[in-house]
Amino acid sequence: MKRGLSAPRGLWLIALPTVAIVIVPVLAVFWRTDWSSFLTSISNETSRTALVLSLRTSLVATSLALVFGTPVAWLLANRDFKFKSLVRAFCVLPMVLPPVVGGVALLFAFGRRGVVGARLDEWFGIQLAFTETAAIMAQFFVAAPFFILVMEAAFDQVDRRIVGAARTFGAGPWRTFVTVTLGLVRPSLLAALVLTWARALGEFGATIAFAGNTAGRTQTVPLAVYSQLESGGDDALALSTLMMIVAVSVLIALRGRWVSALRRGGQ
Amino acid sequence: MSLEINCHLRRGKFNLEVHLTVAPGAVLAISGENGSGKTSTLDMIAGLLACTSGKISLNGKVFDDSTTSQFVQPELRGVATVFQGGGLFGHLTVEKNVIFGRGAAYRNTPRFDSAIEQFNLAELLSRKPSTLSGGQRQRVALARAFLAPSEVLLLDEPTTSLDATSRDEVRSAMKTFFETYNGVVVLVSHDDAEIDELATNVARITILRGENTTAVLHD
Repeated sequence: MKRGLSAPRGLWLIALPTVAIVIVPVLAVFWRTDWSSFLTSISNETSRTALVLSLRTSLVATSLALVFGTPVAWLLANRDFKFKSLVRAFCVLPMVLPPVVGGVALLFAFGRRGVVGARLDEWFGIQLAFTETAAIMAQFFVAAPFFILVMEAAFDQVDRRIVGAARTFGAGPWRTFVTVTLGLVRPSLLAALVLTWARALGEFGATIAFAGNTAGRTQTVPLAVYSQLESGGDDALALSTLMMIVAVSVLIALRGRWVSALRRGGQ
Repeated sequence: MSLEINCHLRRGKFNLEVHLTVAPGAVLAISGENGSGKTSTLDMIAGLLACTSGKISLNGKVFDDSTTSQFVQPELRGVATVFQGGGLFGHLTVEKNVIFGRGAAYRNTPRFDSAIEQFNLAELLSRKPSTLSGGQRQRVALARAFLAPSEVLLLDEPTTSLDATSRDEVRSAMKTFFETYNGVVVLVSHDDAEIDELATNVARITILRGENTTAVLHD
């Protein structure tokens, strides 16, 4: 017998399915991957184009989340304003919305006949739907809430006295924000960026609805996987393996930091 | 020529009434029970909190005046602060903490050297605050306040939560600091021995409890 306080008997057994349903498919993908043709599969024309497109769009979407999401998170954490809970609810809505529904909503807003899209087309000749910009917007829509949520928690954890001290020693609001607040939340900021990027990279539903699935233009890696799977091509598994490797690398890099970031702002 | 405060702060059912005049060179100690408004008083002087009504001025310069809607931002008030726990920037080294803001102009000057020497920080310059003891952190906070030019020095329970040895160390560092300081010093403290040793004047917050709580601070 092990010494120490005992846990409820049999708890391990009940916990097993949860762990198994995640681990088994991950292992299956690695198990079935044909490693001898792995590199050729992910470097053929279609895969390579999809990879480059995915990398580019996800990095742009993440940068947009950084630039436009940071002020939202700071305001939610630091200022009281009218309809604050409503604003927060809308900001995280995409997290609980089926992504494909988000894509449909984007289409009806910014599509060629959309509420805003029709005006954009009429006045400026701008068409967003089914372009690379649409893929970026879809990724931003789905991934930015993760950024905002983590960063709001992080800003909320920053000691107001420390920010106040910076002000009294002569730093204005902007300088205090950049040199003190951002410095203090840096670990959370990195976690938020990686998490947001990973979510953007994996975006599927909103992209296919709003940006379509055009090879070379809007076909990101998840869409390429789907197309390959539909047409019975061999590259689906290799691309899935690659995405899996990226996801696992992200988790290893963060070492659970985003979980603590979500819980207590990662300070 | 002095710091003059005649103001009222209202927060829900809590009212704080402050009437103080502190002359340069004086060390005013404020004492009172927890939650009575000592820190809020400092925050109003520093500009981290606006008075609900009334006026705060330093040597004739208005900091805050509810009748004219004047409010000078904290970075323009020339106030130095030492908070409980130090209020240090955790992501910066001791050296960068000390030269933060107005102090940056004195990097590599005799004034910087004397700050480091006076608060005994030479060994700690490249360390991060999280690796310091409570007493060391307060010495860094004091050096930061010493280096940045200021006309008002605010200290919020600088020795609370320190062990006896660190408390003595920080207290003697404050004493040396105050001796050469030309501005107004306001020290919030719970500790009667500390007040006896450092303060030239004492103001105690009295609390009147009723449906609304009113705390009054008078000199």
